[in-house]
Amino acid sequence: MSTIPPAISDMPVLKLLNVESSYGPIKAIRGVSLQVRRGEIATVLGSNGAGKTTILKTISGIIDPRKGSIEFKGEAITAKDPAFIVQQGLSHVPEGREVFPLLSVHDNLLMGAYTRSDRDGVARDMETVYGYFPILKERATQDAGLLSGGQQQMLSISRALMANPDLILLDEPSLGLSPKLTKEIFEIVVRINRERGTTILLVEQNANMALNASDYGYVLENGRIVMEDTCAHLREKDDIKEFYLGLKEDGVRGERRWKKKKTWR
Amino acid sequence: MSALWQAKEIIPNRDIVVPGETIPAIFWNAVKTRGPKIWLRQKHLGLWRSWTWNQTADAVREIAAGLVSLGFEKGECAAILSNTTVEWVWADLAILSAGGVSNGIYPTDAPNQVQYLCEDSQTRYLFVENDEQLDKALEVRDQLPGLRKIIVIDMEGLHKLQDPGVLSLDSLRELGRSHLQTHPQAVEARTQSVKPEDLAILVYTSGTTGKSKGAMHLHQGLVYTVRGYSNLIQQDETDERMCFLPLCHIAERMSGEYHGMYTGAKLNFVENPETIPENVREIAPTVFVAVPRVWEKFYSGVMISLKESGAIQQLAYAWSICVGQRIADLVMAQQPVNNWLKLQFHIARLLTLNNVRKLIGIHRARILFTGAAPISADLVRWYLALGLPMVEVWGMTETCGGSSGAQPNRIKPGSIGPAAEYNEMMLDPATGEILVRGKNVFAGYLNLPEKTAETIDKDGWLHTGDIGKVDGDGYFFITDRMKDIIITAGGKNITPSELENDLKFSPYITDAVVIGDKRPYLVVIIMIDQENVEKFAQDADVPFSNYASLTKAPEVQALIQGELDRVNKKFARVEQIKKFFLLDTQLSAEDEELTPTMKLKRKLVEKKYASQVDAMYR
Repeated sequence: MSTIPPAISDMPVLKLLNVESSYGPIKAIRGVSLQVRRGEIATVLGSNGAGKTTILKTISGIIDPRKGSIEFKGEAITAKDPAFIVQQGLSHVPEGREVFPLLSVHDNLLMGAYTRSDRDGVARDMETVYGYFPILKERATQDAGLLSGGQQQMLSISRALMANPDLILLDEPSLGLSPKLTKEIFEIVVRINRERGTTILLVEQNANMALNASDYGYVLENGRIVMEDTCAHLREKDDIKEFYLGLKEDGVRGERRWKKKKTWR
Repeated sequence: MSALWQAKEIIPNRDIVVPGETIPAIFWNAVKTRGPKIWLRQKHLGLWRSWTWNQTADAVREIAAGLVSLGFEKGECAAILSNTTVEWVWADLAILSAGGVSNGIYPTDAPNQVQYLCEDSQTRYLFVENDEQLDKALEVRDQLPGLRKIIVIDMEGLHKLQDPGVLSLDSLRELGRSHLQTHPQAVEARTQSVKPEDLAILVYTSGTTGKSKGAMHLHQGLVYTVRGYSNLIQQDETDERMCFLPLCHIAERMSGEYHGMYTGAKLNFVENPETIPENVREIAPTVFVAVPRVWEKFYSGVMISLKESGAIQQLAYAWSICVGQRIADLVMAQQPVNNWLKLQFHIARLLTLNNVRKLIGIHRARILFTGAAPISADLVRWYLALGLPMVEVWGMTETCGGSSGAQPNRIKPGSIGPAAEYNEMMLDPATGEILVRGKNVFAGYLNLPEKTAETIDKDGWLHTGDIGKVDGDGYFFITDRMKDIIITAGGKNITPSELENDLKFSPYITDAVVIGDKRPYLVVIIMIDQENVEKFAQDADVPFSNYASLTKAPEVQALIQGELDRVNKKFARVEQIKKFFLLDTQLSAEDEELTPTMKLKRKLVEKKYASQVDAMYR
C-alpha cells in the first residue's frame, strides 16, 4: 500500500506450538502452530467460529491454553498474566474495539500507557498517534462512547500503540465499518508497520483487505490451520479465490450456487 | 443377537420370499404384499422421513409413466448421476419398470467421464441429483446428441432455469400423473413386457487402465443372485439396513437396494458421505454391509478414544477383548463355550464391549459384512471379539456382487469363505486364478465382445483376475490380484496386498501401495489417516500447520517407520519394505488417485508419483 516494507528478519517474534484452547468442553482451537516474524504483518483468515479470536485471546493471556506453548521474543509467555504480557511489549486490540466509553479520548489513550513509566516517551507516542488519527486530537476531551465506530476503532488501535508494543494483535478491525473506513484503517495499519516497524498479527474476515495488507497468511478452519503461505501465493490459490475472495467461474449456466469441495492445496 | 455362540441361530432362508422373474416384477409384487409397511427412510433437514411401499410405488409409477410419456422406449438406457438417495432408488426402479436399462454414474465423476458413460451406454434420459451434477451434464450436452432430457432431482437454486432440455423430477412426476389418467395401465403393461432375458442394468467398472467397461446384467441374473443372497445375508422385514455406498457400485445396488427390496429390510439413507459416522449411530443397523475402509475407520476411532481413557478403562478393555477373542476362537472351531466363559463375556459386555459397540453404532447389529476390497484378518478378529460375526464376502461387478462368503458360525478370518451356494468356484490349475461359474455371472461387456471373450471362457468360467488358494474345507483365500503380483529384481514373487493389509491395520495408515516390480527391493507409498496422525502430533507436541507439513514432520516419519517395522517383522528379509513415502496431499473422492470406495489406484499412483518412487531407489 505505501512506502517500503521494513526488513523482515527470520527470527520469529511470536511462536505458537500446538496450541489448544477450549471453552468448557468445546475445543475452539485444536492444535495451532504458527509464527510471526519480526517486522511483518501476518494474518489469520477464517470464517465465523473458526477460532481466530480465540488464538489472539490465548496469546495475550486472556484464555489459558489446554495444551501447547507460546513464545514471545524467545521467552515463554504461555498462560502468563495479561498485564505481564502487555509489559513484555504485546498489545491486543480486541474485537468490537472495547474503548472505555465514559473516559475521554485522551484518558483512553493514557490507559494504554498505564504500564509505562517513561513520561517523555508517552507524550511522544501521544503525538504520534494524533498524527496518525488527527480526528482523535480534535475530540481528545470528548467521552470515547460518543465517537463513531470508525473513530472508536482508531482509538482502540491508538490505545494499543500507547504501550509502545513490539507486536500488536489486531482483531477484526473492519468489523462494522464502511468499506471506505475499512480501507483507511488498513492504510494506517500498514503505515504503523512500515514506519514504526511494529509487527502485527491481524485477524480478519475481510480476506481481500487482509491479503493485500499482509505479508504472510494462515487460513484457519474449525480450529485448525489448513493452509499457510505468503499472501501473494495465497491470493492465487483456487480455494482462497472461491471461498475467501468470492471469485469463481460462473459455470455453464452463467450462475453457480454450489460450492466446490475445499482441498487446500 | 447378543453373543457369538448364538451365531448358528442365523440360518439362511432358501424360500422365495417374493415371486417375480424380473426386478420390476419383484418390486410390484412386494408392493402388493407389504403395501403400508415402511421401506425407505431418509434424513431431510435434520428429520427422518419415511416412505411406505405404497408411497414408493406411487413415486416409481409416476416417474416411469413420466418417462414413457416423454417417449422413453423399451430397451433404451437412462442413467442416474447422484449420491445414494431415496430418489436414486425411485429412478432406478422406474427405469426398469418402464422396460428400460438403468445405468449409474458416480457423482464424483468429472464431466468428460459423464460424457463417455452416457455415450457408451447410449443414454437417452439422465437423472441428475442437483445443480452441481446438472452443470456437469450441461457442460457436455452438446457432445451427446442422443440425450433427450435431463431430469433434476433437487431443484434448489435452479428455479430461474429456462431450458427445454431440462426438467425437474416433480414436473416429470406431474407428466406421469396426467399420462396415467389417460393410460392407467401404461406402467403395468411395460413391466409385464420385460422378459427375464432382457438387459436390466449396466455397471461400469472403474478401469484402472483405459476407459471403463460397462458390465451388462440381465434381469434373470439379477433375480437369481438376489434370491441366492439370502444364503449369505440373512435378513427380513424387521431388519434395518443403512444405504450409503454408491448405488452405481454393485455392492450397494445388489446387497442394499435389490436384496432389501426382495427381503423387505428397511433401507435408511445417510444424509451425505461425510455424516456416515453420526448416521450409523442413529440408524444402528441390524445387518450392516460395508467396505473395509469403513470398518478400519470405526476401529481407529475406537482406538483413539481408548487412548484418551484412563488406565483402569484400558485394562478393562484389554481383558474384555481377550475374553471375546477366546470365545471367537472356540465358536469358529465349532467348540462349545462353557458357562464360565459366557459369564465372563457378559461382564465384558457390561464393562466395555457394549460401549464400544455403541460408539460405532453396531449395538443392534446381528451380523456384519465386509467386501469390495481386501480386509486385514486382524480387523475381522477384532469385530469377532466384540461378539459380532463379521463375514467377508468376495465378488466383483462381473459376478453380480458376492460370490463367496462363510456362514456366520464358521468364519475363518483372512478367508473369503467357501463358494456361495448359487455359483461354482475353482482355481485355474495352471495359474491359480479364481474362476467363477453360475447364472450370476454377467452377460458381457457392452460393445466389447473381445473383452467379454477374454473374461468368460468357452466353458462359461469367468476369469476373475484374483489369484487364490483353497483349503480342505473349501474356503478360498485371495493371494492377490494377478496383475499386481510383484516380481523383484531378485526374482522373488511377492503379493503386495498381504503387506498392505497389515499396514492398513495401523490406525495411522489409511492406505498403502507396495511397489517393487523389477526393482531391487520393496518400497511403499502411504496415505496417512489424517485424524489419527494429527492427534498423535498434538499429543506428542509436534508442530505442524497443514497436511503437507504434517507428513513432513520427522516425528510423523518416525511413527510410520515404527508401523512399517512392526509389519516387516512378520516377513522374510526379501519381502520387507525398505523405504516409504507419505502422500502429502489430502485426497478426496474427486481425485483420480482414489477409487469410488476410497482406495488408492495402484497403477495410477505408481505412475503419478514416479519421481518420488525413483527417489526411494537412489
